[in-house]
Amino acid sequence: MAKQVVKLKKQQAHKTTLKFGSFERRRTIEGWTFSIPWIVGFIWFMLIPLFLSVRTSFFITKLTDPYGFGGESTFVGFDNYIDVIKDPAVGEVVFNSFLQSLYKVPIVVAFALFVAVLLKQDFPGRTVFRVIFFIPVILAGVIMAYLFSDSIGSISVFSGMLSSGGMGFLSEIMDVSIISQIGTIMWSSSVEILIFLAALQSVPIILYEVVELDGATAWESFWHVTLPYISPFVILNAIYALVDSFVDVSNPVMGILEEMTSAGTKYGMASALSWMYMLATLLVILIFVLLTRRWLR
Amino acid sequence: MKIFSKISGKIHELIDRYRNLGYRAKKKITFVIGRIFLYYVLIELAYLFILPFIYVITTSMMSYKDYMDPSIEWIPSAIHWQNYVDAFKGLSYFGFEAAHDGGTQFVSSFMNTLIVSLGSALLQCVSCAIIGYALGRFNFKGKIFIFVTVLLALLIPPQTTIIASYGMWASMNSINTFLPVMLPTLFGLGLRGALFALIYMYFFQRIPNAMDEAARIDGAGPLRVFMQIMLPLVRSATAIVFIFSFVWHWNDNCEAPMYMYSNTMMTLQPKLENIQYYFAEMMGSSGEVSDFAKAMMEPTLFAGCLLVMLPVLIVYILGQKKLAAGIERLGVIE
Repeated sequence: MAKQVVKLKKQQAHKTTLKFGSFERRRTIEGWTFSIPWIVGFIWFMLIPLFLSVRTSFFITKLTDPYGFGGESTFVGFDNYIDVIKDPAVGEVVFNSFLQSLYKVPIVVAFALFVAVLLKQDFPGRTVFRVIFFIPVILAGVIMAYLFSDSIGSISVFSGMLSSGGMGFLSEIMDVSIISQIGTIMWSSSVEILIFLAALQSVPIILYEVVELDGATAWESFWHVTLPYISPFVILNAIYALVDSFVDVSNPVMGILEEMTSAGTKYGMASALSWMYMLATLLVILIFVLLTRRWLR
Repeated sequence: MKIFSKISGKIHELIDRYRNLGYRAKKKITFVIGRIFLYYVLIELAYLFILPFIYVITTSMMSYKDYMDPSIEWIPSAIHWQNYVDAFKGLSYFGFEAAHDGGTQFVSSFMNTLIVSLGSALLQCVSCAIIGYALGRFNFKGKIFIFVTVLLALLIPPQTTIIASYGMWASMNSINTFLPVMLPTLFGLGLRGALFALIYMYFFQRIPNAMDEAARIDGAGPLRVFMQIMLPLVRSATAIVFIFSFVWHWNDNCEAPMYMYSNTMMTLQPKLENIQYYFAEMMGSSGEVSDFAKAMMEPTLFAGCLLVMLPVLIVYILGQKKLAAGIERLGVIE
C-alpha cells in the first residue's frame, strides 16, 4: 500500500515536471519573464539611439544628415577613432580622469559609510542631520553651477570656509585647496550616504544583540556583523561613485565632448570618443564586479 | 617635565578609577563619551554640508545694496522680501511678447513638474523593482547579459544619445508631451533608472531564500510571491528610490527641458533662467545678459531657487520618516 502511494506520488511529480519543466527551467522562465519590460525598454530607448550614434561615429557628418542616411555625410570608416587616439590632449585628459576616479571612489565610499554609521545611531536630532546630509542632492541643478563656479559675484564656497573660521582643527592642518577638494568630494557623496543608511537599516537587530551577549565591542560588531552584511552595498556604492565621477559634468572628458558637439561638424569624432570612453569605463566596472564577486558570498 | 609626570599620574589615577567602576557605570561613561564624539563629528560635517545652503538663504534675503557691500558677508541689514516677489514674477514670466499673467504660468509649470516627478517616481518604483527582482532573486542563463545591459544604461552619458533620441521622439510626434520623459520610466529606464534597478537588485539579494521557498510551498504563484512577500520586504529600497527619483526629476535640467519647451509644457527648472530675462526686460535691455547684470540679480535668483526646491525638501522630510519607520519591520527579516 505504502509503496503504491509513493509510486503514485512519483508519477504525479513527474507529470508536473513535464508540464512546467524542471525547477531550474521554471526559474529561468520566470527570470526572463520578469526581465521582459526591461529588455523592451532597453532596445527601444537605448539600443536604437545607440545604433544611430555608432553610425555617426563612422561618418564625417553634416548637420542636416547626422546619421549618414541621406548621403550628404561622407563615410570614413575608423578614421574618427584614429583621430581621437592620435590626439595627445584627449589621451591625457582621459588618463587623468581615470586616475582621479581611482582615488576619489574609495574616499567617497569610506566617508559615506562613516557618516551613515553615525546617522544610524538613535540620538535626538537625528532627523535634522539626515536632512542636512541630503541637501546637496536637493540643491543640485542650476544652483550648484552658481555655487561652485568662480564667476563674478559668486564665491567658491569651500575656500571661503577658511576665512569664516569654521571646521575646527581641520582647517588648521590643511590648506585651502585640499579643503575645497575634500568639500567637493564630500558633497558628491550624499547619494551614497542614503543608500548606506537604508542598507544599515536592513541589518537585523537580533544579530547585534547576539554578538553583544557574546561580549563583542561596538568596533568588533561593526567589522564582523555590519560590514559583511552590507558588503553588496559597498560594491553598489563603489559602482555608483565610479560612474558618477566618469559621467559628471565637471569631468574634463565631458567638456571635450561638449566642445566637439557644439562645434557642429565634429559629431563623428565626439561619438567615437564617447564610445571608446564608455567601453573603457564598462571594462573597469566589470573587472571590479568580477574581482569583488568572491567577497560577496 | 614635572608637569608631565603629574598629568600622566592623574591619567593613571583616572584609568584606575574607571577600572574599579561597576558594569553599568562603565557603560554609561562610554555612552556619554560616544555621544560627545558623535555630536562633535556630525556638527563639523554638517557645517560643511549646510554652509552653502545658508549662504543661499541669507543671500536670497539681501537687497542689492547689502549684496554689494563687502562688509556684509552673512547677515543682511534688513530682510528684503522683495526678492521673493521678483523671483515669483520672473518664474511666471514668459518671453518678451507675452504679458505675464498674474502667476498662472507659474502654476501650470508647477503642475507639469509635479506630474513629471510624481508620475516618474511612482513608475520607476514599480518597473525598477521588477527588473531588480529578476536580477536579484533568479539564477538563470543569460542573466549576466541583462546585468551588462543595466550597467550600460547606467554608464551611457545622455550626451551620447540625446540627439538620436530627440529625433526618435520627434518622428513619433511626441515632443511637448509627457511621453519622452515618462514612457521610459515605465520600462525601468528613464532618469537613472538603471541605478534604481541596481539598488533593488542588491536589496532583493539580501532576503534569505527561505522566505520565498516557504511562500512557494504554500502554493503562491510567482506574481503573488513578488507582490505580497518580496515587495513589502524591500520597503526601505522603495523609499530611497522614490525620494531620489522624485528629487532628480524635479531638478532635471537636461532631459525634461529638452523635450518640453512650449509655453504650456515647460517645467520649473528652465524657468529659473527666465528670471534673468525678466530682469533684462525690466532694465530695458533685450537679448544677452551681461555678467555684471547676472551677478546683480543673484539674490533674486537664489530666492527663485529656494521657491523651486521647497516642495522637494518637504517630500524628503516626509519620506525620510517613512524610511526610519521601516526599521522595526525590517528587523523581522531573519
